[in-house]
Amino acid sequence: MEPIAQPDLDAALDRMWAKFLPELEKRVAFLERANAALAAGTLNVDLRAKANAAAHKLAGVLGTFGLTRGTVLAREAEIIYSGEPDTDPANATRLQQIAAGLRTLLASRKGRACPESEVPIRIALSS
Amino acid sequence: MAHRILIIDDEEDIREVAALSLETVAGWDVVMASSGAQGLARAIEYQPEAILLDVMMPGMDGPTTFRELRKNPVTALIPVLLLTAKVQASDQRRFADLGVDAVLFKPFDPMTLSTQIAGVLGWN
Repeated sequence: MEPIAQPDLDAALDRMWAKFLPELEKRVAFLERANAALAAGTLNVDLRAKANAAAHKLAGVLGTFGLTRGTVLAREAEIIYSGEPDTDPANATRLQQIAAGLRTLLASRKGRACPESEVPIRIALSS
Repeated sequence: MAHRILIIDDEEDIREVAALSLETVAGWDVVMASSGAQGLARAIEYQPEAILLDVMMPGMDGPTTFRELRKNPVTALIPVLLLTAKVQASDQRRFADLGVDAVLFKPFDPMTLSTQIAGVLGWN
């Protein structure tokens, strides 16, 4: 198979973005739900764990679609929701800002995947 | 040369973008599995040259899947590269202690993922 050119890969990634956008929006919606529960003092352990997982998944994928800022925001939410034993309610405002930022990024995503220089791929050989 | 690689990841978006990358950029043959259990079966059936393995999966997670792969003589020697969004130092130490061939971090660049894998495995 001939190596693919960057514009062709970008076009393929754009198609995948369109396919997976609804799922990404669901993850952000879940974060918004958890944020609201945190602000209301009703965030339970199960919801917190699911919010942590949703943020983790967003952090892992958004940069791959060129949204490096989205990965940074989602990773911040993941860390906040990993707080033990509870997520500090004082973080509710920041989490709401993060969710709003993610919404904006999802709505605005266009064009190519992330430039190589922005992608935090690191390799740690075990031996 | 069309290398054979197995991607095990419960997240469909990551799985498909990684497959797109490896198939179209590098021309490799890719098989996918959406769970650790399915991945073990595919590894036995497909005998890939390498496995790209997610860490956080429901049920059998990546480290458990890796240990099961190593227990089975049919899959014990297949190189395994963990793919993870966990970036904290404690996680990295834990992964290194597993004995995997490499750890790759999400998000990855679809244009260069195959180059990274090939570099680790000496396929260049």
